[in-house]
Amino acid sequence: MGKKERVTVRICVGTACFVQGGADLLLYHEFLDPVVLANCEIEGVSCLGKCKQSDANARAPFVQIGSVIYGDMTQERFCTLLAEAVNA
Amino acid sequence: MLEMNNQYTLIKRRVQTEVLKHFFDDTLVESADKIPFQIIPKERVPNRCCIYKERAMIRYRIMAMLGIDIERYDDEMKSLSEYVKEVLEKDTPPVPILTTISTACSSCPPDRYLISDACRGCFARPCLANCPKDCITFINGQARIDEARCIRCGKCKDVCPFHAVVHIPVPCEEACPVNAVEKNKDGYVEIDYKKCISCGRCAMSCPFGAIVERSGLIPVVKMLKAKEHVTAMIAPAIEGQFPGTLAQIKGALLASGFSSVVEVSQGAETTSVHEAEELTSRKESKAGYMTTSCCPAYMEIVDKHLPFLDGRRSVALSPMGYTARWSKAQHAGTKTVFIGPCLAKKVEAAKTADVDGVITFSELASLFMAKGIDVREMEGADLGDTALFEDCREFALSSGVAASVLRRLDNPQDVDVLSIDGIDKKMFRTMKVWEKRPPEADLVEVMCCEGGCINGPGTVVKPSVAIRLRGGNKASTPVKAMRDPIPRG
Repeated sequence: MGKKERVTVRICVGTACFVQGGADLLLYHEFLDPVVLANCEIEGVSCLGKCKQSDANARAPFVQIGSVIYGDMTQERFCTLLAEAVNA
Repeated sequence: MLEMNNQYTLIKRRVQTEVLKHFFDDTLVESADKIPFQIIPKERVPNRCCIYKERAMIRYRIMAMLGIDIERYDDEMKSLSEYVKEVLEKDTPPVPILTTISTACSSCPPDRYLISDACRGCFARPCLANCPKDCITFINGQARIDEARCIRCGKCKDVCPFHAVVHIPVPCEEACPVNAVEKNKDGYVEIDYKKCISCGRCAMSCPFGAIVERSGLIPVVKMLKAKEHVTAMIAPAIEGQFPGTLAQIKGALLASGFSSVVEVSQGAETTSVHEAEELTSRKESKAGYMTTSCCPAYMEIVDKHLPFLDGRRSVALSPMGYTARWSKAQHAGTKTVFIGPCLAKKVEAAKTADVDGVITFSELASLFMAKGIDVREMEGADLGDTALFEDCREFALSSGVAASVLRRLDNPQDVDVLSIDGIDKKMFRTMKVWEKRPPEADLVEVMCCEGGCINGPGTVVKPSVAIRLRGGNKASTPVKAMRDPIPRG
């Protein structure tokens, strides 16, 4: 079995995301499962641009996992989604 | 205390952002009454009983944001636009800072201990053995608490191996260190302003959002819109509250319309120097312990509850006081706005002629969002020569004030320091005892919020996040030649 690609994760640290709870995600070292963490490449990025679209279905904070952008991110949802992405 | 980010804080920020957007677009008067409907659309699945109550609550949040004392001046017949017209014409007096929304209050029953179904009716029965009032009985093999005799000591909860005992608190009453939050005869929350120290703990702990702070945003944005010369005085705790460096935060403030930005750490330096001098002379004359004087909630405690500490606190002004004085001297006619994590600072500011407005970090976040300003995208502004007071940014952290004072002493090793890291009910009782038994220390540093100002009620992020992000700008700020008139130990 070949070595699996690490999942690219981009946490938006634009002001809107940051102050609406995105800042909590930056503690990922503390709340994320170490095994999942080892298989992820996590970085903070400037605004993903999603908050500027008037999309009532999703709100800040936004996170991009692989190529998909998710809104309304919480620490718990972040854990679940990352675990899924890593094990996919 | 509630988690920093919850439904309530998020919706509060949305309300503030919407109101500010309309304010800057000059559409607030006509749109104010529509905002509750925009924020709570009819498709929403409500957290409260129905969307109609949620909309009514949004109305109250807008009123709090306008600075209206809801407890006293709630007129249900009056539209929001009428309130808006009034506050746009005339600023509301800022004190009292906290007000209550009785219809939001869930009138929680008195706090009690309850034994849940998790009770296994064990053989050892430590609850029974440890209850000092013999109020535990066993019915059908499960423990029960006799409410009439229970003194709510919590011993049964501590000893139960199955965690079967639950404590159901009244969050606001439990959070208040000075017992200023009480239920009125109808069971709704009321604040006794003769006792209240404006620390904001109750507002942070109520899960129904029934205790709210009256915002000081409107007077400040009015100054900005009128293009007056406004000086933003940023508290030492601001670093870490927003993404980006301190220089970028300064840039963002300038972009939002403030004319100049000054760090309150600069005033903190002056405070430290004065406190160091005072401490030295007190030690020489064997006058006993001295307390710091920068925490405004602590100052309220002394004024309202512990008058014997009056002569114990340092006579130095708070960092905000010195910074405001300096700013006024720098630019005649400037309006000074303190931006910090603290609600009690609004009380202090109301007593100080040099301070014209106070907003919290949380309110500043709403201002940035309304103006579409992204701190991290900002060009960093020049912070100037910060070498003299850089270490005083530590004022935001517990034991940081004492450390700054010690650095300005000739013999810091001779000074015993006691740090009061947060005042809760128990600490308040301890402090009462000081009248008879003084603390064994020369310098007592008092912080009403646990962990220091970075845990204040007006912060944006958790202290753990803030600490991670603090100090990041140090590398980018070159250490300039020390201009150092003060001898350090």
